[in-house]
Amino acid sequence: MILRFGGLCLALASFQVQASELWTFENRISVSGSPVDAVYHHLDGAGRKHIAASTDSVAVIWEDNRSQAPQIYVTQKSYAQESFPAALPVSSGSEAYEPAIDALSDNRFVLAFEQDGAIFARVLSAEGLAEPARLSQTAASHVSIASLDDRVFASWRERDKGRWFVKVAALSITDDNRILLESSRPIEVEGLETPVLFPAIAVNEAGLCVAWEDRRAGHTRLLFSHSADAARSFGEPQSLNEFLSNRTEYDRGNGVTRVSLASFGADEILAAWMDKRRGGLGYGIFAALGDGESFGPNEKVHGEEGDAQPHYNPATAGSRTGDFVVAWDDFRRGDSDIWVSSYNEDLEWSHDYAPAVASGDGEQSHPAIALDEQRNLHLLWIERNQLDGPSRLWYSLGRTRQQP
Amino acid sequence: MQHSSLVRLPLAIVFLLALSLDTLSAGPPENYRFLSLTEAAQLASSENKPMLLYFGRYGCSTCRKMHAEVFSDESLVEKYNSDFVLAYVDTESGNRIKLANGERITEMQFATRSRIIGTPTFIFFSPEQKPLFKKAGFQSVAQMNLYGDYILGEHYKSMPLQAFMASQ
Repeated sequence: MILRFGGLCLALASFQVQASELWTFENRISVSGSPVDAVYHHLDGAGRKHIAASTDSVAVIWEDNRSQAPQIYVTQKSYAQESFPAALPVSSGSEAYEPAIDALSDNRFVLAFEQDGAIFARVLSAEGLAEPARLSQTAASHVSIASLDDRVFASWRERDKGRWFVKVAALSITDDNRILLESSRPIEVEGLETPVLFPAIAVNEAGLCVAWEDRRAGHTRLLFSHSADAARSFGEPQSLNEFLSNRTEYDRGNGVTRVSLASFGADEILAAWMDKRRGGLGYGIFAALGDGESFGPNEKVHGEEGDAQPHYNPATAGSRTGDFVVAWDDFRRGDSDIWVSSYNEDLEWSHDYAPAVASGDGEQSHPAIALDEQRNLHLLWIERNQLDGPSRLWYSLGRTRQQP
Repeated sequence: MQHSSLVRLPLAIVFLLALSLDTLSAGPPENYRFLSLTEAAQLASSENKPMLLYFGRYGCSTCRKMHAEVFSDESLVEKYNSDFVLAYVDTESGNRIKLANGERITEMQFATRSRIIGTPTFIFFSPEQKPLFKKAGFQSVAQMNLYGDYILGEHYKSMPLQAFMASQ
């Protein structure tokens, strides 16, 4: 803990709460069974929302090629169950990619995915999967989905007549868990000649926020837009990442990519992304906090102990109790491990913490995380013994050590 | 698990699926016949040509400097267009490629898994599609010419690149 009094800092390290002290991770649970030759699991969706926690159950969604073609699968278990049941196939087309999931009430979940170049969504409940609804109109991909009190919003990128759009849909859910497309609008009506990539969405009581990779400036910037009227109108896109540019004749700005958003508290949003502002060290994990209409200064998430390494695949989670977390992977210890950080009591990012269940021999990568209302952290990741070998999915519950 | 410093994937047997909405808009240099990785790998195998694999990033300043000051050189245009198969990977792209093991991943994930930290990074392959060496960062016209000569003259069969460069 560092107390600041007019420039005087008192270091009281013994009181500083680190991420390692926030959760006790239980034994990992296999999600996908033992590795199968030539079967590969992917957690690559926009915003990395592959796990969600509802009232008293957790569900995970991913893509794998067990059927030869890439398809989407989901499985759900109660917190008390010690194993995941067999996965349900979610997609049904020729190929499907990059799914997303968020929790609804009563142990239901809303899923979104790309299938054969279109965006679909459907609901998972105790009765199984409800009928899917198509959300996109033309070629589309990179979907993200978020809900608040069963109000659901999805964002994705769509290409129409050679122009790129970030589109946002408001969805409602019927009593029999069918999804109705209430509205679907582009954030910018005119669209762009340059691609937009991997829009992430978060919703809180003040509205919704969408952040995406945007190439209109001649290099990639992260832009965000806010809607306070349930996706009927959107604010002018603003820059999320701070960047250096024009340092040389050829300099447009440092690279940034793969933003993840999570709402926390009543009306706050965490954004985290990969950022090359550190030059030759590769990507760092940077973050910003705000209400979705604006964000504060960019903050480096990983600690000095990881400064010499590149970092990848940031995922975010938040809770209405006000907690928020970032997870990512890096290979500072030779092979890839999962790392976690959250604010300590000084409102600074804690020391990097590698949960033992997601570390050690082999490649542990591509984390996805969710916080439940009890402040527990649900962690999902991919493990491979070799970089090009078959994979498997693991899950672990990090039980909170904090007082309610 | 430790990793070698060169290439960790069997790049020589990468095959592309035309699955993405993106194009090569992220920017290989003009006047060169850069292909997607899958197309290039297939072409290099069928024509028994060496391959240059270029990892770039949209807006990368060193990439832009090389395009303007190095790849603009006519000797390189001729040498690399006629004697090499050229592949470009956008390290932040969601374009999907299919690896020889059957896995489909994005170009970004491929670059990450290949431990490509900075751009530009160039990996040179023999006509047998064996990765020979990797060069990261700015490369001069003279260096790029020598890299080409080293491979086209098959000097890689008899001496390391460093020795060849020193002898020139």
